[in-house]
Amino acid sequence: MMQSLTPDVEVRLSVGQCVRTLTTSKEKEEVTKTLHTLTSYLDDGPQSTITSAQRAEFSRAHYTRTLQFLISNINADWLQLLTVAQCTELWDGLFLRGPPDQTLLALMDGISSMSSPSAGLDRLVSILERFLQSGRLTVLLWTRCQGTGLSDSPQLRETLLSRLVALPDLTANQLHHHNKTLFLPQQYYPLLARDMLTVLERTCQALRDRKDCSLTFVAQALGKACVQGHSALVFGVLAPHLSSCTLSDMVWQRVCWKLLENVPERWLESVLTGMVQAVNRPDALSRIMGNLVLKNKKAQFVITHKLLLLQYKYETRVLSILLGYLAQDRERRPLLIQVLRSLCQAWANPSAVRHTPLEQQLYVSRALLLCVGLLSDAELQELRSELLQCMLGGMQSHLDSSVVRVRRMGMVVGECLSSRMDVNGAKLKFEYEHDEETEELLSLMTPLSEEETELLDDRLDLPQDVKGKTVPSQAVPSQAASVAQKSGADPDSELDSDDELTPYDMSADQEMSQAAPPRYLRDCLEAFLSSEDPVRVDLSLRAIEGLVRKNTSTAREVSVELSKVLLHMEDRYNTVGFLSLRQAAMVALTVTDSVPVTEYLTTEFYSMNYSIRQRLDILEVLIMSAQELSQPITDKEGPSKAIQRVTMNTPLYPGDDPIHWRQVVERRIQSKTKRLSKGVTHPPAKPTPNRYAPVAGHFFFPLLRNYDRPQVTFDLLGGDHLVLGRLIHTLGLLMHLAVNAPVATQMGRALLDFVWAVRYHVDQMVRRGVLFAVCSVFLSMPSQSLLVELSDQLFETRAWLAGMTRRMWLKRAQSRCTCSCSVCVNLRTRTHTHT
Amino acid sequence: MARPAPAPLYTLRGAGSPLNALHFGCCEGDPPLLFSGSGQGSVHVWNLTTRRAERVLKGHSGASVTWLNMLYSRDALISQGRDMRVCLWDLAEGRSDVTDALWTGSVGFCRCSLLETGPGRWLLAHAGEAMEEVKIIELPSKSPVCSLIPQAKLGMVMCIKLWQPDSSPGPLLLAGYEDGSLALWDVSQRSVLSRAAAHPEPVMCLDFDPAGQRGISGSSEKRLASWKLDGQHRLQLQEPVALVNPGISQLCIRGDRKIVASAGWDHRVRVFGWKKLRPLAVLQHHTDMVLSLAFSDHQDPRNRMLAAGSKDQRISLWSIYNQGSSDTG
Repeated sequence: MMQSLTPDVEVRLSVGQCVRTLTTSKEKEEVTKTLHTLTSYLDDGPQSTITSAQRAEFSRAHYTRTLQFLISNINADWLQLLTVAQCTELWDGLFLRGPPDQTLLALMDGISSMSSPSAGLDRLVSILERFLQSGRLTVLLWTRCQGTGLSDSPQLRETLLSRLVALPDLTANQLHHHNKTLFLPQQYYPLLARDMLTVLERTCQALRDRKDCSLTFVAQALGKACVQGHSALVFGVLAPHLSSCTLSDMVWQRVCWKLLENVPERWLESVLTGMVQAVNRPDALSRIMGNLVLKNKKAQFVITHKLLLLQYKYETRVLSILLGYLAQDRERRPLLIQVLRSLCQAWANPSAVRHTPLEQQLYVSRALLLCVGLLSDAELQELRSELLQCMLGGMQSHLDSSVVRVRRMGMVVGECLSSRMDVNGAKLKFEYEHDEETEELLSLMTPLSEEETELLDDRLDLPQDVKGKTVPSQAVPSQAASVAQKSGADPDSELDSDDELTPYDMSADQEMSQAAPPRYLRDCLEAFLSSEDPVRVDLSLRAIEGLVRKNTSTAREVSVELSKVLLHMEDRYNTVGFLSLRQAAMVALTVTDSVPVTEYLTTEFYSMNYSIRQRLDILEVLIMSAQELSQPITDKEGPSKAIQRVTMNTPLYPGDDPIHWRQVVERRIQSKTKRLSKGVTHPPAKPTPNRYAPVAGHFFFPLLRNYDRPQVTFDLLGGDHLVLGRLIHTLGLLMHLAVNAPVATQMGRALLDFVWAVRYHVDQMVRRGVLFAVCSVFLSMPSQSLLVELSDQLFETRAWLAGMTRRMWLKRAQSRCTCSCSVCVNLRTRTHTHT
Repeated sequence: MARPAPAPLYTLRGAGSPLNALHFGCCEGDPPLLFSGSGQGSVHVWNLTTRRAERVLKGHSGASVTWLNMLYSRDALISQGRDMRVCLWDLAEGRSDVTDALWTGSVGFCRCSLLETGPGRWLLAHAGEAMEEVKIIELPSKSPVCSLIPQAKLGMVMCIKLWQPDSSPGPLLLAGYEDGSLALWDVSQRSVLSRAAAHPEPVMCLDFDPAGQRGISGSSEKRLASWKLDGQHRLQLQEPVALVNPGISQLCIRGDRKIVASAGWDHRVRVFGWKKLRPLAVLQHHTDMVLSLAFSDHQDPRNRMLAAGSKDQRISLWSIYNQGSSDTG
């Protein structure tokens, strides 16, 4: 009668009996026996009477319920009857030997349903720990691969997947501080990755034995883990193994390709980004990914578009791996060319140059250079016209920019492209200052050799190397004396007694000119106007500043004429320090005879046929003269300073100035030091009479005329952003220097009116200038008149500033703007509280 | 960064004319003295303690004094003037008399060279009546020793240096000529041992370091020629030293053979390390050509100064590289 029962009924009856026994019994013997019975369904001991059909039925239908029963009775009395050993053997064994997917679900449910600190919870947690440690996850994944028991519902699968991947989150939520280290993401995901590797290994073995396997579940687990942000941890383990395993084994390669193909589309992106960052060579990526980019639209989009053009956070290493991957295979070459085209477009796009963050432009430039470096000569020939177009257009839009880094980037990329294309042997060559950034860009053009790619990780150190190389080149400006020094049989080659004699500074040892310097201002003027003699012009240029300062009365007679001559003067004879000498002379003239000279200069600023350089010179001269005039009047300083100037001929351009190294170091330290509050250390300067206050209006107001009247050669509100930006800066400075002057109120109002018109200018330099000007208005205007005079403008400005700050924070890119903006808002609040 | 360029210790003014010759008299007695020869024929005796001119000696009848030295002591001055005379002075006990005078017949600018051959005996080399002639006489007897006239056409003799080498019995003489060549004479043989074309322009000045067998010469060009004598008394040119501005009027190697100074037409005195001729300092103070140089012979090395006389009628005194490398000017 019993024999005739079907296995499922039989098992059901037996399990039911066990459950009943466990619920009611208080006797140790009986409990032990029952647990033994249940355990015997899980694995076949030597004297087992259970058939495999019965076991299968138990696993299918009763295992989960049994576990749930055990968990719900975790605090039952009979459990206390067992010894520790029995408990581990029987009770825990039930969890660790059954089908792992059901165990995991039951355990996770149990853990999340139990109240937090309790003995039962601790017990479950320790079982889960042992579950993970004993490699049950491998078994779980492997059973899924084998395709047996795939009859389960998609919901179950989904749940299992989410429990598997979110295990660290679930445990952390339940256990809080008592969480086990094994459950921390740093431990768990590498464990998961190792289990995956074991499963992949087994899959390879099975494929060799001609058995079918399905990698769907593993791929899903991988995808889900990555999309939840653990790709770095997972691929930290996976990538090195995969890249070494696929090196020689085709089966491994196929398994990898299959794995990636099976990753659901919605998770593919995070898997790819994770992997691209984790592999260390393009060919490793190529072996692992195969031609996935060609087969999968999503992968193609991510690799060829998103990682290159939309995101820009990756290191150069990643870029070179990506592009190298595209270049490795013949079938993928067309994609490389497609990428090159879109990179070209992105690089050359004038709107992108103006509106995208600098970091992104740098990223695109890097990618473009890497890409061009990978092209073969035949491909280059084919793409030449397109590249040329890109180069010319892009160069123009880069060089138009007012940001130095953008311009420099344009020059470097242009040079590199032209040298790669080799247009009839002609190459572009620009003069720019080399820094880490340009060196890095330039270095991208040389394709890496095999050994170098081997050490791709070491390339992270490259900027330091480059820095070390560039420092000596910019160290000392060449001087005549150092030439003399070199020509003496090289002094450092061996030890000799001269070394104990330290040389003095010999920089003053310059060529002597034959002619005597002019002694009268009119001689200088004549030399400038008519002389063809370089020596005479040179001497006059050197002498003129001193002459102007010494003979103020004569200087007043010829001030405007001399200013005119100086403004139009060109460096015909390549005079050393021409710009600074001319500027110093013009400043001296402006200081000596402020009203007529400023009138002349400010009128000329808006007239026709001046170059940008000349207009900028005018602004610089105005600023420097205002600065000099605004020094407090002291009795002693005037004449002695003037005489010192005559004798010393101090260079005014920073590049020409041989500053003492201590000062340089000091300045560098200052610039690197962040000061959280500067206000306390600098008490506001005491108002003292100066020479600027009475003439400030002459400097300031004429510059505000005519700005909206475009000329043929000069359109301030149109293309000439650079001049506009500098003009606003200048106005801000003039305003700042006029602090405490009676005219400051009118100046402030006029300046606010003016900058109001250009506050949303497209060029960030102009916007920065506007911010600076607004700052200086707030700082320099007397606070009592600020509210009275400007009440309506004040509110508008405030709203604009607040909006600006918010926008900048969102954009994050133009951090300097943001900074000055928030400074400005702070100032505003300060003045508010002041009043 | 290098130390800032040195400044002069002090300057002596009041000579009233360009200073063509300088000579220190510090070796014995106090106060240290500096003799200077001016373009108007007067010799000033400067007291370096008071920094004033103690005496002014006039003996060359208004013609420029080109060379100064001492015979027995600093009371026995010897001076050479453009009046074609070499005068011997007695300065002892406040006297300032010309005790003896010697007619050289030379109209050139060539400075004499004095060599002590024994106690109370000297050899004096001076340019002779003929343009290329160098005459050597014995002092104090004034008896002529020889006359050295080169066979080849070398032009006027411009500068000479007489010394007694250890290797040969007779003294040797180096002479620079108008065509830029240097000649090494063996005085006892009256023959040229060696010749070298050191400059394309006339040799303006030279100095020789007998211990190191090396010398240096200047011209009106933008370089200094350096040369050495090998074992066979042959002149061998070495790497020249480039200058920023052309023209050198005097070269002076300091007694300790550490540094050499050059008086430049560009108003500057340049100091080089003597071993490698490495530029060490440019002394900038004068407003006209520097014409003469002298290193002090003071016993205390710290007081061994450098004096530079210029066409701007001033003498500048510099304390440079006096006590190791740590001192400043």
